[in-house]
Amino acid sequence: MAELTSTLAKPQSGEQDAARRQRRAAWALTLPAVLLMGVILLVPVAVAAVLSFTDFSLGNDSFNWVGFKNYDRLFTRSTYAKMFVATFTYVVTVVPISVGLGLGAALLIQSITHLREVYKTIYFLPVMATLLAMAIAWEFMLHPSIGMINRTLELGCGTVLEHIWPFMANGCVQGFPVWLGDKRYAIWVISFIGIWQGFGFNMVLYLAGLTGVHRELYHAAEMDGAKSGWERFRLVTWPALGPTTVFVVTISCIRAFQVFDTVEAFWPQGGGPNKSTYVMMFAIFEKGVQQNLIGAGASITVMFLVFVMILTLIQRWLVERKVHYG
Amino acid sequence: MAELAIENVTKRFGETEVLKGVSLTIADGEFVSLVGPSGCGKSTLLRLIAGLETQTSGTIRLAGQDVAGLRAADRDLSMVFQSYALYPHLSVRDNIAVPLRMRRLNGRQRLPVVGRFLPGAGGAERQLMGDVEHAATTLEIDHLLDRKPGQLSGGQRQRVALARALVRDPAAFLLDEPLSNLDAKLRIQTRVEIAELHRRLGATFVYVTHDQVEAMTMSSRIAVMMGGKILQCAAPEEIYENPADIQVAEFIGAPKINILPVDVTSDGHVGLLGRQLPLRLAQPETGARIGFRPQALRLSGADAGLTGVVAHTENLGSEVFAQVSVPGLENRVVMRADPAQRAALHLGATVGVDVDCTAALLFDGKGQRIRNVSVKTTPELAGAL
Repeated sequence: MAELTSTLAKPQSGEQDAARRQRRAAWALTLPAVLLMGVILLVPVAVAAVLSFTDFSLGNDSFNWVGFKNYDRLFTRSTYAKMFVATFTYVVTVVPISVGLGLGAALLIQSITHLREVYKTIYFLPVMATLLAMAIAWEFMLHPSIGMINRTLELGCGTVLEHIWPFMANGCVQGFPVWLGDKRYAIWVISFIGIWQGFGFNMVLYLAGLTGVHRELYHAAEMDGAKSGWERFRLVTWPALGPTTVFVVTISCIRAFQVFDTVEAFWPQGGGPNKSTYVMMFAIFEKGVQQNLIGAGASITVMFLVFVMILTLIQRWLVERKVHYG
Repeated sequence: MAELAIENVTKRFGETEVLKGVSLTIADGEFVSLVGPSGCGKSTLLRLIAGLETQTSGTIRLAGQDVAGLRAADRDLSMVFQSYALYPHLSVRDNIAVPLRMRRLNGRQRLPVVGRFLPGAGGAERQLMGDVEHAATTLEIDHLLDRKPGQLSGGQRQRVALARALVRDPAAFLLDEPLSNLDAKLRIQTRVEIAELHRRLGATFVYVTHDQVEAMTMSSRIAVMMGGKILQCAAPEEIYENPADIQVAEFIGAPKINILPVDVTSDGHVGLLGRQLPLRLAQPETGARIGFRPQALRLSGADAGLTGVVAHTENLGSEVFAQVSVPGLENRVVMRADPAQRAALHLGATVGVDVDCTAALLFDGKGQRIRNVSVKTTPELAGAL
């Protein structure tokens, strides 16, 4: 009997050994990647999360635990209220418009036969340019007295435009806006620059998505009675671009949450007129780097991570549930 | 239901002329196959009929009316595509409903969510859902109505595409190689089903295929196309037994017809490999060729007219095809034999082959059929080969 069990057990233990060896080898092989991921991704996030509960400053030997005080400030101080307003205004403006323009440009470029590459390059140029350098160019253009934009607007004075457009009438009498110095305009100016800079990227993603739409589907739609371009867009193009749209919207949202360079270039000391462009990234920079309030900076960073995490989860849910046709 | 008339249609894409003057009349309720090798222009012709392309010249009439300038959507034709072209985001039910919704509902009623609450939309929607279910029942896919195309097999997708085509009762059906994405077994089954569907609906079918077996088994008439022209358009039997052109003879029939070069004497006698055949032409011909279907060849003794070595055999169970290398002939001769004769057809065996000259097809130097052939069935001449 003992013999029997031992002969039975032997191959089994051999199998177990093999399985264990394989597991060990698998862990050993993934270890460098796991270590790297921990050290450069997870540990910094954890450190930021921990620091957000302290009043740590760089250079100090010790710190005090302050509990939720940093977070409490985030939701009670008016500066932070302005931060959320500026950030969300920017995101809500830039994302739909840059996605819409990207899709529109992609559809237009797709529909032409000549000069495709030229248009693609032109629309993609702002994406390739350094935003900081571009911000300087924009600063000149937006200058209230010598800037190209106000100079151009002044040309409209005395024409019919003055009578039909109240903004023009107002500007001709009282002077055109100080674009970067007026809290009514500042956030819209950086939103505009964000759209100008970002939609070319979305266009390229949509162009890639459009190449994946089966040509025969358009013919089928035509045979089925979809006569107008709009009907064919609704029946074929838009559903086929579903996965692309989810990706484009998510990427655009994350990029919009990350807006920083324009704000830093235009208003290095403090987030625009009356903090109207005090976006999250700039707040993190100001608190954490300029003022060395690491705890406060960390708490904004954690908030930022939460927003991005929510967006990513929504994207994953949409990709898995709604737009995956298999 | 309508007659379809194509008159002298040409089509160019830039420099290349894809269709070189095609004329074809398809009667109401007919099943016509356009068959030919790839690149012969058959799909282009179908797309011209559909209205997805515009012809360079010529006219296409549907029920006597010139359809030039009429959009595909307005031609009242249905098309089944090679890739099926089902809308991947819509369920089977909605896929089949698309042609009805596009035609029976107006733009506002088709709007998502709000559309169905507009006056008249509810009733129209109920009615068209009834039609969708009827079409689905006809094709036995009513249990799949709530699935997405991605969850269906190739054969099921094909049925959905057919259901979408027949749901609105069009004037004619255009089918562009609908079976080419199916596996061999399913193709044979669907072939029968499409033929039966045609009989039941009594509608006009125009069927494009490169597979001559599909064309032979399903159609009332076959139009064989090559190089942008219709070489012959006739019933399948006629095409097979009486091809007008050597290319038609070679394209239709599997295994391929045997084409052998013959010598014609000045008085019209036909000779093959130096032996006289019991055939006589009305006038001498240079470069003439003779065609024998594999079943016109018989295994015989070693003293037969054609003697060669068996180079390859294909046993299909009910019949055997033997490829025989005959000295003096460039191509192997393919012969049909009974399974009982298999023993004599082992590889390397020297066999004699008799030909049935009454089934011979003669072609002139340009490949045109020579109709004026007299066959002498005198015993001594028939015995000569």
